[in-house]
Amino acid sequence: MTASTPESYLSEWDRRLLEFEESRHISVFRRGMRNLVRNRLLLSGVILGLLVVGAGVLGPVIAGGDYELINFSNIHAAPFSEDALLGTDHLGRDTATRLFVAIRVSLAVAVGVTGLALVAGLAIGTVAGFRGGWTDRSLSGVMDFIWGFPLILVAVLFAGGLGEGLLSVILAVGLVNMAAIARVVRGEVLSLSEREFIEAARAGGLSNWRIIRKHLLPNILAPALVLASYYVAVAIIAEAALSFIGLGAQPPLPSLGQMVAEGRNFLQLNHWETTVPGLALVAMVLSVSLIGDGLRDVFDPRLRHEAKGLES
Amino acid sequence: MRYLAGRTVYMLIILAISSVAVFYAIRLSGGDATAARLPASATEADRETLREVLGLNDPIYQQYFTYMGRLLSGDLGNSLTNNALISKMVIEHGRNSIILGAAAFLLVFLVGVPLGMLASVRRNTFTDQGIMSLSVAGMAVPNFWLALLSIWLFASVLGWLPSAGCCEPKQLILPAIVLAAEGTALTVRMTRSAMLENLDSDWVRTLRAGGLSEARVIGKHVFRNALIPIISLAGLRIGQIVGYALIVEVIFGWPGLGQVLVNAVLRRDYPVAQFFSLVLVVMVVLGNWFADLGYLAANPRLRKI
Amino acid sequence: MASPLLSVRDLTTVIRTEGIEFEVVRGVSFDMYPNEILGLVGESGCGKTMTALSVMGLIPAPAARIAGGTVLFGDRDLVSLSERDMREVRGDDISMIFQDPLTSLDPMFRIGHLLTEVIRRHRPVSRSQAEAMALQALAEVELPDPETRMSQYPHQLSGGMRQRVMIAMALMLDPDILIADEPTTALDVTVQAQILDRLLGQQRRRGMSMLLITHDLGVVAAVADRVAVMYSGEIVEQAPVTQLFSDPQHPYTQGLLRAVPQTRHQRGALHTIPGRVPPPQFVPPGCPFSPRCSQALARCWEEHPDLVPENGRRLRCFNPQPLTPA
Repeated sequence: MTASTPESYLSEWDRRLLEFEESRHISVFRRGMRNLVRNRLLLSGVILGLLVVGAGVLGPVIAGGDYELINFSNIHAAPFSEDALLGTDHLGRDTATRLFVAIRVSLAVAVGVTGLALVAGLAIGTVAGFRGGWTDRSLSGVMDFIWGFPLILVAVLFAGGLGEGLLSVILAVGLVNMAAIARVVRGEVLSLSEREFIEAARAGGLSNWRIIRKHLLPNILAPALVLASYYVAVAIIAEAALSFIGLGAQPPLPSLGQMVAEGRNFLQLNHWETTVPGLALVAMVLSVSLIGDGLRDVFDPRLRHEAKGLES
Repeated sequence: MRYLAGRTVYMLIILAISSVAVFYAIRLSGGDATAARLPASATEADRETLREVLGLNDPIYQQYFTYMGRLLSGDLGNSLTNNALISKMVIEHGRNSIILGAAAFLLVFLVGVPLGMLASVRRNTFTDQGIMSLSVAGMAVPNFWLALLSIWLFASVLGWLPSAGCCEPKQLILPAIVLAAEGTALTVRMTRSAMLENLDSDWVRTLRAGGLSEARVIGKHVFRNALIPIISLAGLRIGQIVGYALIVEVIFGWPGLGQVLVNAVLRRDYPVAQFFSLVLVVMVVLGNWFADLGYLAANPRLRKI
Repeated sequence: MASPLLSVRDLTTVIRTEGIEFEVVRGVSFDMYPNEILGLVGESGCGKTMTALSVMGLIPAPAARIAGGTVLFGDRDLVSLSERDMREVRGDDISMIFQDPLTSLDPMFRIGHLLTEVIRRHRPVSRSQAEAMALQALAEVELPDPETRMSQYPHQLSGGMRQRVMIAMALMLDPDILIADEPTTALDVTVQAQILDRLLGQQRRRGMSMLLITHDLGVVAAVADRVAVMYSGEIVEQAPVTQLFSDPQHPYTQGLLRAVPQTRHQRGALHTIPGRVPPPQFVPPGCPFSPRCSQALARCWEEHPDLVPENGRRLRCFNPQPLTPA
């Protein structure tokens, strides 16, 4: 009896094994997509974010009105009173109108600054990690130096130097967040550079720029974007906090922190003057954090342990 | 030893660079320093004389050394707003700040580390999810908003605690908690992930194979290992507390360094702003250095090479 | 033969991922006798380590659990033993050495502390007595300068020295059974022989029973008394060492033996077994080896063969053929 493998069986087995492997392979991707939809945190973050952005972008258009308009005949009005959806403040200014503009200010500062910090951080981190040697040592030295200082203190220093206002806030937040992003990006680039496909690309004589563009950046982008979403939250909080103590947005331009600060003197009279901007602020930060957490879970489970990535 | 020497040298360099940065930041854009010291009727000649006396016409690097020399000799100058001696102010307000900061620092670790450990050993249970949700909330709620909420709840509604002031123990409770909130939330997260990471390591299996109890394996060995990353970020926690103190002290009317600095910036009291920001920067740098020392003490891999 | 020290019957261990349970150890049975080395061989992923961890009660809960079978040690079934009682057994009656000595010692504590902690866990001795015991254990595995090592941290020791510490730790309480999971794989070739030598010397001296898990057939041929070959979570062939190497019956065993480079014989292409171990989530319905087997019958695809005992050997194959010289 000579043994022989029935050809049909073998090919049948191979086909099924292949199918199985493919199903697993696809399922990783599908799982990601499924998580993206099913991830309730991410979903609620996106909805909340859309609401806030919608209020900031469309609110002023719909509500109209002048956020500087003072009306002493109607101060400290409660929400849903006539002519004032969310009430008025101690100068009789319309809270809703001011809130929408304040959200705009907050969004513009946070997203704009983080965008710039992301681009600069990516560039510096990539160059430092990729070039190594003295370039790395000096760039990392400067980034570590900046990163070592608390954001609020840096912002107060800038306010002391340049005078209080949004410019100081933007520079301080941008600088510190850039350093934070650059540090993480550099680490990612360093660990990627040791991987085979980068070694192979170098050995294959590809130009540095091409390796960075084709091989490094696509791999860094996901973690960098996840990080950036955290820094949007950091920037929103920092701007609000600085405006709250009077070092950020200067009147008459409204800002959430400043509105909270003005309203707190009239808590007994009409707490909504503080509550409304405060809630808007929490909603913004929460939405960005939820989106960041969700993105991280979906795209980069590795960052779970990257607690340092959360440092402000 | 090499690690210690390296960190110390690094600390001194950072100290030097940041003192220059702070000096230039405030001095260069400080506006006309003579405006606050002379009446508006003063002539340009008077101003020029004062500039000469104050050394403002010297090259800027020389001004830096002059300033540092004066600091080292204990001559800190006076406040422009109330003419108080800055040296006296810094001692009084520094004491208040250190009380508040130390309370917050202790809270961060004495609350954050046990909660993070609890979450890690109860991984994926209701307890874990509860603790982690609290920690997400702790990071999402801006601390000045938390401050207002807690004043509203505990001072206005419940009337349990005073809303502001200094320096009774009762008055310390709210600001310390608010100042510690975000750091605690981050410490919870980090402790949990460090515990979980170490729980997966090979040596945990070795200890279990030796018959050690879970309480011992986790409470002693895993915890001891998880402490390393926690300590290594203690310096950041200190920095964070210094930074947030600027806001929390203002809200709670806690007369510390932060409150004085913010007021000095708002009132353009440059001598005070300059010196107090220098003090806070030094505190941050020293805090980082102390954290390095703690890291060194906790990590046998660095102690003996 | 004497009565077995440890008797594993129909041991089945399952792992749960993404809500699906699959068997990584399927109905494994074997006996261990005093003063004997049982070799457990197979490719990586065949369930060797999971078998050992199941015996130790160290499978990673809650993802894994023992779904069936017994592990009789004396008159106790280790599978149904409480965790508290099992802890008394671990490290005292049965101990285990792991594969990677570089990561298997807690980096935060001194060697002496790690050893004495285990000793004092099992024996009511003073600190200094425990230290004396640990020192003696280190000396017995011929770790150079044991007094100094006691006060050193794991990172200050080389890989070979750390594995000696692991062996000392496993042997210091005179266990009846030692499970060594790839004890030399992670070490330099020159160190491998030394470590194996220490291990063997101690086993003989103490008359211990040892389960040696390895994929290195050379090691097994040199030291084991009996050999069990595992494939896809089950034992496919088991025999005394000389019998297994001179007359392998299972096509998988034959493939493993052919794959060992033979320096004495002709140079040329190395033999390999085509294909690879099926993933545990997707084991073929008949004989798990059938897709890779050159002599599989139609029956092999449909029926799962039993492990049939036959004059001192156990074999799980419908169509054994004598080994043809390659």
